[in-house]
Amino acid sequence: MTAQLRAELLKLRSTQTNLGLFLALLGLVLFVVLLHGFSVPVERISHRSNQLKLVFGWAALLGSLFAALLGALSITGEFRHGTIRPTFLVTPRRGRVVAAKVWACMLFGSAFGVIAAAVATGVGSAALTMRGLEIRLDGGDYALLLAGCGVAAALWAAIGVGLGALVRSQVTTVVGICAWLLFVEGLLLGDVGLVGDVGRFMPGALGKAASGQDPLLTPGLAMFLLALYAAAAAAAGWVATARRDVA
Amino acid sequence: MSLTGAAATATEPSLVEPVVRVSSLTKRYGAFAAIEDVTFSLDRGTVTGFLGPNGAGKSTTLRLLLGLAEPTTGEAHVFGRRYRALDEPARRVGAVLESNDFDPGRSGPNHLRALALAAEIPPGRVEEVLQLVELARAADRRVRTYSLGMRQRLGLAGALLGDPELLVLDEPANGLDPAGVHWLRTFLRRFADQGGTVLIASHVLAEVAQTVDQVMIIDRGRLVATARLDELAGRGETLENTYLKLTVREAS
Repeated sequence: MTAQLRAELLKLRSTQTNLGLFLALLGLVLFVVLLHGFSVPVERISHRSNQLKLVFGWAALLGSLFAALLGALSITGEFRHGTIRPTFLVTPRRGRVVAAKVWACMLFGSAFGVIAAAVATGVGSAALTMRGLEIRLDGGDYALLLAGCGVAAALWAAIGVGLGALVRSQVTTVVGICAWLLFVEGLLLGDVGLVGDVGRFMPGALGKAASGQDPLLTPGLAMFLLALYAAAAAAAGWVATARRDVA
Repeated sequence: MSLTGAAATATEPSLVEPVVRVSSLTKRYGAFAAIEDVTFSLDRGTVTGFLGPNGAGKSTTLRLLLGLAEPTTGEAHVFGRRYRALDEPARRVGAVLESNDFDPGRSGPNHLRALALAAEIPPGRVEEVLQLVELARAADRRVRTYSLGMRQRLGLAGALLGDPELLVLDEPANGLDPAGVHWLRTFLRRFADQGGTVLIASHVLAEVAQTVDQVMIIDRGRLVATARLDELAGRGETLENTYLKLTVREAS
């Protein structure tokens, strides 16, 4: 298992794909946090919860999104390029491969989340300070933001691996994850509110709640519920991978 | 037509477990049988050509043998066990099923390092196999920049990482230049002479005729012949004639 984990960590490091993902994540965090930090009207970001949600909290969504893409690419890339064949020839116990990918991607994903939160904290504070606004977040809030974003992104990386293993098609998986996180949850569950209160228990919302963005859901509970989603996705990917033929 | 050879060895009592033993192997996709009732065995130290037209079932048979796909019925054993039940498969079996199973953005050595890590093979072996396939100087670039011949060599290097006893290769000479084909032949011959066993699937007869000891011919999912090349020669038949007689029907 350790051997397979080391192999998967090398795979994640040895192409430029994940460096590209990381830079895109940094760029988007900078852009979104600065945009909101400078443009949201003063009366809407004078409170702690609004500052967290509208400025700093973007790190949770973006960190989760890019961690999920990292996870999805790590397995769908193997199917796309055919490396799944040598991978399974060397490790025919396929469950080990999926498990190692989950752990490796969770490690990279958590780094994505923590760094996104750190960048959001830095530029968000700078933006608010330059506008002469008082920052209402205290040390505990920042710590929770870093930890919550790290945990949420790690769990979303596991979801990405699980979905990727289940779906196998790279394009379908990537489009599916983007559509879900950026549109489906946001529109149907949040803004339009078609399904009422259920929305806060959806995985994207839980990712935000993990850093304290939902007053009705404690971060610990949010992390626990998101971990259930991650476990379910990873298990589904594990079972599908163990049973299906490789072309 | 009576052809004897590899298949016959399966029915003779033998104290030595064959390296590969495939019995009544069948794979169906719905009503379509990709292969049907395929039986053969391979002894240590032999080089076997697995011949047949495109789509005859060669690759399907190899995937079933190597645990990438599950048979509908029948069994495929390597070293007496299902491939997926082998303890250290990379140290027993090396296989190349496609010529381009690489991430184009990863370097050749890193591709091999990842496989070596997973198989718990010392990292120094990567440099050794690169030299073995004569790829050492040119290799440290992304696979995207490799020629087809270089990819074949890299694939073979991956198969050789664990210093295996059995090599399973699907169309290994594809994309190799004449010097490369000559090199591959010499390499496989030496491998077998040192006690290794080789199974090469190919649809190019010339590629195989000079390398192998015996051939198995598959057509439309069924094994239609197995024969030792020296027996064919003894009967005054060529591999090409035999192959065409068995696999071409619509030509008459």
